[in-house]
Amino acid sequence: MNGCIVAFCCEHSAYPAADLAGKLRLHYPENIRVIRVPCAGRVDVIHILKALEKGAAAVLVLGCEDGACHHITGNTRAKERVKYCNMLLKEVQIDGRPVAMFNLSPNAPHKFVSAVNEITKIIKESGR
Amino acid sequence: METKIGVFLCNCGGAIKNIDFDAAVKKVAKFPGVTCVNLSSDLCLEEGKKKMISCIRGENIERVVVAACSPEFQEHILREVLEKAGLNGHLLSMANIREQCSWTHDGDVTEKAVELVKMAVNRVRLLQPMEKKELPVNREVLVVGGGFSASNTALQLSRVGLRTTLLEKEAVLGAGTEELESFYGFDTGSMISAVEVDKNIEVLTSAQMTEVGGKIGDFSVRIRQEGGEILRKYGAIVLATGHQTELALDSEPQLRAEDEAISGLNIVSQEQFCCMLGNSGLETEPKTIGFMFDFSDENSRFTTLATLNNALEAKKKWGSEIYVFCKNVKVDSEGMEKLYREARDCGVVFLKSEAPPRITAENGRVKIEAKDVFLGEDVILACDVLVAEELYLPAEGAENLSSLLSIRRDSKGFFQDENVHLYPVGSEKKGVFFIGGCRGDLDLGRVLTDISSVVMKVHELLSSGKILVELEKVKADPQKCVACLTCIRVCPHGAIQLVRVDGSKEVAEISDLACDACGICAAICPAKAIKFQGYRDEEILAQIEAIQEL
Amino acid sequence: MESKDVLVVGSGISGVASALELANAGVSVYLIEKEAVIGGHSASFCCKATDICSKCSACVVSDKIKEAVIHPQITLLTNSTIKGLGGELGNLHVEIIQQPRYVDEERCIACGLCTEVCPTDPKAIYPPFAEATPFSYILDEGLCLRFKGERCDLCRGSCPTKAIEFELKPKERELNVGAIIVATGFDVFDAREKGSLGYGRYPNVLTGLDLEQIFTREGYLRLPTNGKEPQNIAFIQCIGSRDEGHGYCSQVCCKYAMKLAGLIKYQNPDTQVTIFYIDLQTTGKGFAQFYEKYKESIRFVRGVPVEILQTISGELEVRFEDISQGKVCRDNFDLVVLSVGISPGKNSWDLARILGINLADDGFFDIKHPLSSNETNIDGVFVAGTCQGPKDIPDSIAHGIAAASKAMQVLAESASQGRGN
Repeated sequence: MNGCIVAFCCEHSAYPAADLAGKLRLHYPENIRVIRVPCAGRVDVIHILKALEKGAAAVLVLGCEDGACHHITGNTRAKERVKYCNMLLKEVQIDGRPVAMFNLSPNAPHKFVSAVNEITKIIKESGR
Repeated sequence: METKIGVFLCNCGGAIKNIDFDAAVKKVAKFPGVTCVNLSSDLCLEEGKKKMISCIRGENIERVVVAACSPEFQEHILREVLEKAGLNGHLLSMANIREQCSWTHDGDVTEKAVELVKMAVNRVRLLQPMEKKELPVNREVLVVGGGFSASNTALQLSRVGLRTTLLEKEAVLGAGTEELESFYGFDTGSMISAVEVDKNIEVLTSAQMTEVGGKIGDFSVRIRQEGGEILRKYGAIVLATGHQTELALDSEPQLRAEDEAISGLNIVSQEQFCCMLGNSGLETEPKTIGFMFDFSDENSRFTTLATLNNALEAKKKWGSEIYVFCKNVKVDSEGMEKLYREARDCGVVFLKSEAPPRITAENGRVKIEAKDVFLGEDVILACDVLVAEELYLPAEGAENLSSLLSIRRDSKGFFQDENVHLYPVGSEKKGVFFIGGCRGDLDLGRVLTDISSVVMKVHELLSSGKILVELEKVKADPQKCVACLTCIRVCPHGAIQLVRVDGSKEVAEISDLACDACGICAAICPAKAIKFQGYRDEEILAQIEAIQEL
Repeated sequence: MESKDVLVVGSGISGVASALELANAGVSVYLIEKEAVIGGHSASFCCKATDICSKCSACVVSDKIKEAVIHPQITLLTNSTIKGLGGELGNLHVEIIQQPRYVDEERCIACGLCTEVCPTDPKAIYPPFAEATPFSYILDEGLCLRFKGERCDLCRGSCPTKAIEFELKPKERELNVGAIIVATGFDVFDAREKGSLGYGRYPNVLTGLDLEQIFTREGYLRLPTNGKEPQNIAFIQCIGSRDEGHGYCSQVCCKYAMKLAGLIKYQNPDTQVTIFYIDLQTTGKGFAQFYEKYKESIRFVRGVPVEILQTISGELEVRFEDISQGKVCRDNFDLVVLSVGISPGKNSWDLARILGINLADDGFFDIKHPLSSNETNIDGVFVAGTCQGPKDIPDSIAHGIAAASKAMQVLAESASQGRGN
């Protein structure tokens, strides 16, 4: 799966934002695969690591805005897990495989698109 | 034997042009377990659905993948289609090949579409059926508080046939209603009488909650009264504990420093001023009155209301000269702008300043100094009575209630966190509601709306005596659970409890009634004991497996 | 005659909240809407989050609308208005007239083929705004060649689901319901009424609503005239509120202006922002977060300008009385945002006449009694949301839920008296 971005999208925020981007015909790179989750807080470290193990170029976790998580603490927990993953990757000296968390609302399609574009840029710059 | 999977692709009336459906169908047919692949142009319409049903029945399909537009609206409709075809509605997985594929990428996206289908096929293979069931709930309601909000809520709940316990920590009902009475002319006495004669309302005074357990439909509440303790069960809990005001002494440093000089002065609260107005035996009518608000607390809707009402009343009754010192007049409630204009028309003078005024004593009178923005100059006023600025705070005991119920409060200490998804009157815990002054700086209009809202919500929850749930959607496997309590601590909805199984072992039990299906517990369980149907680890990992492995 | 328990008039956030509460309580609901799409004004509001949620509640609206559309107990009737009311309490007969939509929303799959083949410019058949529900295409009679007498059948021919039908007439229906909730919302104050502020004449003078729609569509703010990033923006409060024609505070403008200002500063910290106000309504959710961050970097000026002129260089010269300095000043901005208020709906007059409900002095629907703000002078007819007076989104939701509560009581009372459904 070289070159693919795996994006875990919360069904309350990022998933509808991605749908809205579609309705507006906003374009973003094709190599993204969205996995729908009920809350960013459902995403576990093992899911992120398995995606990287399979060869994902980057992993995104997208949840609700800070302070607006439907399940109150889900997005905060996701953020901590993303940080933890990055720390693990650093310890085993794997770099250039960004794992990032983005926060957005369901009516913010542009934020979804810029998140994807930003990560794509980082991947390109790290030469993968 | 491998589960038979049927895949239904839709080309949206032929409008999706950047996917080669013929090629896609050929590739999808080769996926393990796929016994039937169908291309349609109108799956969202009746004809398309009928064809799908006959295909499912005809081919004995056991799992369904639909590759079409977004699951947002179609998923729940398709679940019903599956049920009509004789399959459990949860044995469905969707691939979003329109909004998140065809519509957002240039060029041919057949490869991505096929991969999205494979992800859905991998997931659907593992999905398990889920049953729905109606669980019984307790129809009694606990209303904590005994003032305006609490009493009226109890009366309205009674009218819709629900029995309520009114739990008041003071010895009598009706605390805190004096200002409302004087501003709006409503009668506390008759409200209390109505509560006392109502057969559906039980009044417990000098009583407090000491422990709360359970969940929506089945809360267990320990109540301590003068005679001892009782244990009660309720289906829902409404907190209507009101607010309190505190003189904002911090903004008036002089008040503290020159305590001696000021102690003899007439610096009163709004409530005390109200009493002065109502006191027919008042010795001397104040000739010059000063009011202050909105310097230390932006929650000044209620104090704006109190000031305007009291000022107008004082003008009418005593004809005094009235000066109001404030930063911004909070008119964002119904009728406030009108009241503000009325006050000004009656001769009440408003002096707006950015910084709080200095308060000192002079010749036994209160001296107020402030820089008025309109004049650009310092204004000095000597008045007989100063109605000082007040902070609007939740009533005493809020912190205690918050920890009893494990409910968070906002930055000012009011219930109902600032998360916008906690719609008015609701909380993060199903079955627990907050209304009125304990929720924030509300005017009467908003308080009344709160009362009717919460009655509707409680009625909706409890009136039928049962709630429909999906059984064991999220479940902790008792074999694997080690009762570490992590899930109980992290559940944002308070839906997990420790229960005893097989007479000895304690395990976590997730309530189908209270669970809101977020999966935070499933992710955090160190023993991987929690299974969240539809989003189990294997179901998520299976989707990852499908990516670029064609 | 078709029967259901309750009719909710208007599918803005308040109407939707009412309908959902009733539907969840097992009540059957007609939700009628005069436009082709549901959601009212707040459905097109933008997310104003900076690095944290700014509590504007715009995302809450889209959630509620989705729930309403899929709810089995709610029957949606778009392009519909009320023509007449009869019957008695508990058994009301409502005459509805449904304008032809030409594109059947149950058959339209939003494939876009019709727009592709439409020969007019601008297109006479087009998709609704992105968050619209139902997301079905709209045929504009004013632009369509057929309605101008020409022969054209291109869209109908291209439609794969045969969703387009021209030979349609307005349809009359009679609905039998137990109670009615009027939730017809508000009209945005037309800033052109304040001619001296230049709205409609100067392209860089916008309203708050314009800004919301720009952010939703584009994601960022650019000057309408030259597409460049604005460097110096002014927000003017109380446009159409707290003035001679409007003796009330619209309750939402200070909040939305501050949150939009916060969003602008977050996207471009170097932009200068000034807010002209009378009394800053610093209440409600999100204010504290905004204020802490931006109190130093946003300029607050007490005093509302009355005149805006465009200079030769295209800048907007705003003339105002700076009260703190006690003199008339002129400042130049490249963009001015007028924080327009909530005005009573123009359709309220007709609806009031048809239903027999009173209007208050300020033009909003009147309530029977100050101690309960949903009841009108007609039993069984309730009001919810901004059609009764200005409210923000959370208050509109609460008001809608309260109206549902009152409607349920009417149903319960009718049932126990053996009348009605």
